Amino acid sequence: MTQQLADQQARIQAVPASGTHAPASRKRWSGRARRDFFIFLALALPNLLLIAVFTYLPLINNIYYSTLDWTLGSATATVVGLENYITFFTSADAVKVLGTTAAFTAVTVGGSMALGLLVALALNSKVRGTTFARSAVFAPYVLSGVGVGLVWLFIFDPGYGVLAWILRGLGQQSPQWVNDPQLSLVMVIVVYVWKNLGYCAVVFLAGLQSLPQDVMEAASLDGASSFRRFLSMAMPLLSPTTFFLLITTMLSSLQAFDLIRIMTPLGNGTSTLIYEAYLQAFGAYNRAGYSAAISVVLFAILLIITVVQLRFVERKVHYS
Amino acid sequence: MSLILDRRLFLTLASAGAGAVALSACGGPTTTTGSVATTAADIDFSGVKPAASIDFWSNHPGKSQDVEKSIIDKFHAKYPDIKVNLVTAGANYEEIAQKFQTAQAAKSGLPSLVVLSDVWWFRYYLNESIIPLDSLVEQLGVKLADFRASLVDDYKYAGKQWALPYGRSTPLFYYNRDHFAAAGLPDRAPKTWQEFAGWAPKLKAASGAQYAFMHPALAGYAGWTLQNNLWGEGGSWSKDWDITCDSAESVAALQAAQDSVYKDGWAGVSSKESADDFAAGLASATLSSTGSLIGILKSASFNVGVGFLPGGSKAETGVCPTGGAGLGIPSGVTKEEQLAAAMFLQFMTEPENTAAFSAATGYMPTRMSADMATVLAKTPQIKTAMDQLAVTHVQDNARVFLPGADQEMAKAAAKILTQQGDVQATMTELKATLERIYTKDVQPRLKA
Repeated sequence: MTQQLADQQARIQAVPASGTHAPASRKRWSGRARRDFFIFLALALPNLLLIAVFTYLPLINNIYYSTLDWTLGSATATVVGLENYITFFTSADAVKVLGTTAAFTAVTVGGSMALGLLVALALNSKVRGTTFARSAVFAPYVLSGVGVGLVWLFIFDPGYGVLAWILRGLGQQSPQWVNDPQLSLVMVIVVYVWKNLGYCAVVFLAGLQSLPQDVMEAASLDGASSFRRFLSMAMPLLSPTTFFLLITTMLSSLQAFDLIRIMTPLGNGTSTLIYEAYLQAFGAYNRAGYSAAISVVLFAILLIITVVQLRFVERKVHYS
Repeated sequence: MSLILDRRLFLTLASAGAGAVALSACGGPTTTTGSVATTAADIDFSGVKPAASIDFWSNHPGKSQDVEKSIIDKFHAKYPDIKVNLVTAGANYEEIAQKFQTAQAAKSGLPSLVVLSDVWWFRYYLNESIIPLDSLVEQLGVKLADFRASLVDDYKYAGKQWALPYGRSTPLFYYNRDHFAAAGLPDRAPKTWQEFAGWAPKLKAASGAQYAFMHPALAGYAGWTLQNNLWGEGGSWSKDWDITCDSAESVAALQAAQDSVYKDGWAGVSSKESADDFAAGLASATLSSTGSLIGILKSASFNVGVGFLPGGSKAETGVCPTGGAGLGIPSGVTKEEQLAAAMFLQFMTEPENTAAFSAATGYMPTRMSADMATVLAKTPQIKTAMDQLAVTHVQDNARVFLPGADQEMAKAAAKILTQQGDVQATMTELKATLERIYTKDVQPRLKA
């Protein structure tokens, strides 16, 4: 490591201030460095190419399409510059879609993490059957979203669903879970949290089991209550886990698609940014350019959230 | 190892970036400076030989996969040099449209024959994604005069024929005959919704069902069946290209529908499929497609009655829309494939095949000369659907020709029927939306 640092410093010092660096540069690329560079290329280039073709090229294409008035399926399109963005941000749909996205993300991330932590605390206790309970809690996470959505649609059906049957037993009518836009959002959030809390629980459980027992025992000997130990010691020590989960669950919530598509195909009340982009291009409207603009907005939001989390939230994380 | 950003590396990266941007402009559509009006191409098929293999994209309307396969087998026996590959390209009209539009955008993987619904074919016409069939009809000697005029005329535009009818349907009034008998009601569909409103309390009291009537699921085709309510009260979604969904008559019709749910409490709104709710005994009556007929008859454990759609206070008849799907030939495949597809299309719509399709699904036979005696002996209810064809009404332009209008109508219906939204305000809002779609997405592309 020391040798590498020394080499690096030597290279930096070798770069002259003026434009007479070519001979030095050629000298740098000889020998071992050249071989290392080719090894680096051989290892990295296939992946870089795949990422370029399947991630960055579509991204650039999408930005280009967002400047077009293009009906999906049409061979021609008109260049309209930023009109698609202006249309989106000046329409009532923008407030509705961004609001739905924010509500869905906040509740699903908060709900999955809070419930996941509670479940992890329960699973962390030394009682019989925790292995089975752990598998049972994690199982929904690995199930297909399509299958989960279809089953839960039957449960929520106001005519012959299990929930309606229970409510009728209590003398109540079932709400219109699918048809009422506000309730359909609640319905999708409930199912999403149910499906994903197992992931949070398992990750939190791993975090809880890696806490330094000597520190926790010392606090216990000092008379700290279990609640105080959890609040003042476990939670700060769990902050890397919490931070990791915050990033991953937020990104996946913002990209949630399958449950929304299956449970509310019209997106009535459940049109998050990603689903609105899908509906506009591949649903009934076929506005490919407009959809691309919404996708770019989603990309920008994801980018900002990720950068903000990495730059600011991570500072609050205790790694030891 | 570290890399230093010198001038050469910077220029390399800049070139790569510029290349990527340039490359991005290579895919997708050709850009123009103004809107392009659709023009119908004249296609000459003389001297063209049919392709050896074609793909037929279907969503198997009315669970028709088996009957489609058997018709294809018969086609193979008659034309051994042409192989038809049946491809399941979606579970419903929207999914097949999505796949077709995506293939259009990708400019690859297109089928030679595709199922297209009443709300999609016009978009394919606007996008020039399908070809006019006139020259193929003439060359192959397809007997257009033997098709039911109201069904074949649905696909005429700008003087050309853009598709031929396939799984064509109308809504039917389905009722539980046992419930009607228990309530002391006549064994028939009501003549008007006003008459049914008078029956509903008796039905609800006598049947034990949750609802006397189940409105069709809004996520399905609410815009389609609600035309019945609108037309009965003298309203409509539109008249030609004028949006009229906010007229006093239209608002009155939808207010009556809302009252059936909230004020009078005898109707419910289906969450998924009203035919399933009806067959499960949740409601004593519903509206659903003729394509649901066989499924309902198979799954219902009670006597099923069918009748014409009820009228309203302004019109008792001529209040039933046609619907369902046709078959079209994409423009993006070779002439050889188009010709083979047309031969298969002709075969699919032969009288005996349309009768077989009808028997298997409940969809209407599209040919007048189709021998339906055997089919009707087995399923006499299909006769009601066939008879109703004589009193059908061409659908409103707003529903079938405006992209996304059906979805907007469904959302508006949801607001009215499931959230008790103000009908007038909802329709005023819908009108603005539909006019915006027309002005932006349709009007510029129509020929002057």
